[in-house]
Amino acid sequence: MFTAAAESFLKQAREIQEEELRRFASRVAALLQGPELGPEAVDCLQRLHLAVAATKYPRKLDGKFVELLQTVLCSSKCPEQIQVLCAAILREMSPCNDLILSCDEIQDTKLLSLVSSVLLAQGNKKAEVSAVGQRIVKVLERRLPEGQSARYLLPVLSNIISVSPESLTEEQTNVVSKKMADWLRYASIQQGVSQPSGGFFSNPRTRQPGPVTEVDGAIATDFFTVLSVGQYYTQDQWLNVQAFSMLRNWLLCYGGKGLKTPNSDDKSGMDRSVMSMVSTTSTSSRLLPPKERLREKAFEYCQRLIEQSNRRPLKKDDGDLQKACLIEAVTIMDIICKQDSSYVYRAVSFLKILHSRICGDATYARALLPIAQFFLNHSKMAAVDSDAIYKHLFTDIPAQLFHNPSLAFEFVQFCKDNSQLFTETSSIFRQSFPNLFKFLAWNSPPLISEFVDLLPFLLDAGTAIEIFHLLLDLPCLTAALDIQLRSPALLTSERAASDPAVKPATCLEAFRHPLYKSMFQYLLRTKSAPEDAPERLTPLRQLLGSLASSPRVVQCAETVPVLLELFFRVVAEFADGPLINQLVVLLLQRSDQLYEIPAFKDDVYRVLSSQLVMLCKLHPALIVELSTEILEFSGTVSNIQNKEAIFTHVVWAIGEYMSVSYDKRCTVEQINRFFETLEAMLFEITQLRPLASTPSYAPRAISVLMATLTKLAARSQDLIPRVSMFLSKMRTFVQNPAVTSVYCEEDLEEILIRATELMNLLKMPSVAQFVFTPPVDVASTRFQREVNDSLPFALRIVTRLLEPTPGFMPG
Amino acid sequence: MVRAFVLLALGGPDPPTLPGSAHSGPAPCRVLYSRVFRTPPGTPLVPGGPPRQRLRRKEQLLAVARQVASQCRLLQSSSGRPSSPQLPQLPDEPISLQDAPGGVFQLPPGDPFPQRVTVTWLSVLALAFALVCDPQENLSLAEITLRRLAPRLLASLRLLGPGADVLLRPEAADVLLDRLLPHGQMLFLNERFLQATDREMGIKTSR
Repeated sequence: MFTAAAESFLKQAREIQEEELRRFASRVAALLQGPELGPEAVDCLQRLHLAVAATKYPRKLDGKFVELLQTVLCSSKCPEQIQVLCAAILREMSPCNDLILSCDEIQDTKLLSLVSSVLLAQGNKKAEVSAVGQRIVKVLERRLPEGQSARYLLPVLSNIISVSPESLTEEQTNVVSKKMADWLRYASIQQGVSQPSGGFFSNPRTRQPGPVTEVDGAIATDFFTVLSVGQYYTQDQWLNVQAFSMLRNWLLCYGGKGLKTPNSDDKSGMDRSVMSMVSTTSTSSRLLPPKERLREKAFEYCQRLIEQSNRRPLKKDDGDLQKACLIEAVTIMDIICKQDSSYVYRAVSFLKILHSRICGDATYARALLPIAQFFLNHSKMAAVDSDAIYKHLFTDIPAQLFHNPSLAFEFVQFCKDNSQLFTETSSIFRQSFPNLFKFLAWNSPPLISEFVDLLPFLLDAGTAIEIFHLLLDLPCLTAALDIQLRSPALLTSERAASDPAVKPATCLEAFRHPLYKSMFQYLLRTKSAPEDAPERLTPLRQLLGSLASSPRVVQCAETVPVLLELFFRVVAEFADGPLINQLVVLLLQRSDQLYEIPAFKDDVYRVLSSQLVMLCKLHPALIVELSTEILEFSGTVSNIQNKEAIFTHVVWAIGEYMSVSYDKRCTVEQINRFFETLEAMLFEITQLRPLASTPSYAPRAISVLMATLTKLAARSQDLIPRVSMFLSKMRTFVQNPAVTSVYCEEDLEEILIRATELMNLLKMPSVAQFVFTPPVDVASTRFQREVNDSLPFALRIVTRLLEPTPGFMPG
Repeated sequence: MVRAFVLLALGGPDPPTLPGSAHSGPAPCRVLYSRVFRTPPGTPLVPGGPPRQRLRRKEQLLAVARQVASQCRLLQSSSGRPSSPQLPQLPDEPISLQDAPGGVFQLPPGDPFPQRVTVTWLSVLALAFALVCDPQENLSLAEITLRRLAPRLLASLRLLGPGADVLLRPEAADVLLDRLLPHGQMLFLNERFLQATDREMGIKTSR
């Protein structure tokens, strides 16, 4: 809770002036140098910490004071709370130039860990990371004094190797590898003892510790692991936990050939041509060099963990840990097999058994991903058929568990990591893309950026059309998934529950209604189905209208414009003429068949209209090739209001590309036909009805109609008189009171200016022809590319030439 | 490995409860406590030296916090949860967070860290806890770690109360992190190990 008190403290801390801070710091210094460090010192250090931490701008503390903090931190007499506070302040100020700290003399492992946290925060300008690494290995090498535990040092080491694996020499890594192998394999399997409470009556030997147990209570019969349970734990058991926790990191850095940083590509180790079928046995492992020995122990540890994950835990939360251990174990096995392919044979059979054990259990679904990754990496080497694994993963899991956000995230990451799989057309991965979109439909905000990365891999000439429909219907998919989740399991015996003639009253009823069932099934399909026609989803879309305002559906709808733009950008790279034509036809058709969410429709229209222009630029001949569809669309009056953006851009495209310079097949008859259709449209929307109210249309629709008609007339010059006459009538239109009451003044002025300019241009037909129909090679010059922008400018120039005196041009 | 831990106040549409406060804009998202465990290699040096490096660190953490707050709000609205807080339980007991909203998302390279990171988060009432992890991290373990850190921090820092312990007692949070997430290392602790850790920290558990 960010409370009023906290807000006030924060404000005060930020407003402390430098002088005040200096005085406070000297007060703290005096306390720290005093004989006893009590509650007052604690309180002051806490406030000092806040003063430094509260602002992102630097707080200057005197160099001597910073030195004092370091001295106090390292002093053995100092209470732990004070030490932790000093470390916190030093870290907060980092990177810090006044640091004199060194870990060289520190014997106490806990203090060493604390000091390391300060040193590692310095950004490694002075090789602090390496120095700390050296010190830690040195401490680990020797026998630790009584009461000290290596437990506090392993996390530091793990941190260091993540930042700078080259901090350790090969000899040092061998030393640590050797110890890790021992910690992993030879920790005590007796429980620890509680610390004796002391006192006269205490008897430290009252209770003998028993053996550790498994998570289900059974006595453990094999070596100790993180899934071993005891009342108290010994030091080596703690080290076992620490060692396993850092094992993956360690193996990634030092397990392979040569030095690897954790971030580098770890697709390595597949360089052995002869695969050993005989696994290394434990007895001979003592002879192995440290790296190989650690690998062996790690592998055994992972096998044991996987077996232990089969047990039913007494404590529910241990079940979560079992699953996390399972995932880690499989991942580590994968790494080991990459580093030494002789382990592949052992691992494969083991993991296949594991897979069949867990594949039916939804709570283990997340573990299926590293298993599948393992088989993707190694099944070829092991000559094992793992298609069934992939099929189950891609067909069943998304369909059943799309609503699990962590699984959804990890699944999509898995797809991104293996994106090359989607390029094979016939593969199960490629075929399952409708299933993948369920993750996005349900969990839109966290996954949209992941899908932006993934979509290009799913798109090619074969899938483009289906994905186009899928994207437009994505919010419907969300609604359908919602219904699927809420509807009880389908009864196997379908009673005559739904009479086909009776319309379902709710969406839930519709889910099993014979008329709607197949539509739901299509929408919720798990495999690509390009032959099916999504147009038949129209009744379903209407039915789902009641869910159109549900927040989840709206969130999904907001992702569609982004994906559509990306879709077209990718498609533009490979689409040929026929595919472009198909897309344009579908674009026009689908504009009628969208889920009824108002903001969604507007956004989709906006994207589709600009992408239509892009497609025309790519394949200008489409205007001629699709003249029927385009004529029909541009000749439907309702389109001007309902789909204004698309209509305007279609009309613009007609004006731009209906020309013999873009397609030799463009005939005068075609131009005339388009002219007549558009003329009728312009007439319709500028008609002055004497008694009825005048509807208002988008001014830019009027403008673009006028411009296009002019352009067409410039190419088929018998049309010029008709256009000129029409344009001259625009004056009457804009001055009519019925019109001025529904349009705003600026818009009407613009319309009039444009009409005038176009008319004037038509008075010089050859100029008009040049401006409006440039030869294609000239079109590549900068002027022509910007002809859309420069057209008004050009028109104004021409107008000025014709009307030297300011005529009826306002302003 | 975990790069950073952030404890943030979600902020949001409610105006701040300052008495006599003139403005009533939405409360900002605030980082109440944070701990950065390391800066990975390949991070470009910032010109301007240590102060700018520190500034960048603070701003990166704030950027993470804002993303978490935004994802949390979106999740709350999509699942139709009421924005009224649940009844807080006895502050002494570790609170069970089984149904607490949470999620995971990725931040691309350059925004705000030079490398890609994965953020996993958990929210309780008006607060959120987030782990900034390396891309290939074991997210199941990260979620377990968060679910263990959150109730202990809530109790130890009295986060559900009216005080400002979270700002004034950083060492309490440090101690918890040193045990459950030392130097950014997540630990595979089963329930008994966790109890042993609680004992070491002096936390009373009911089990």
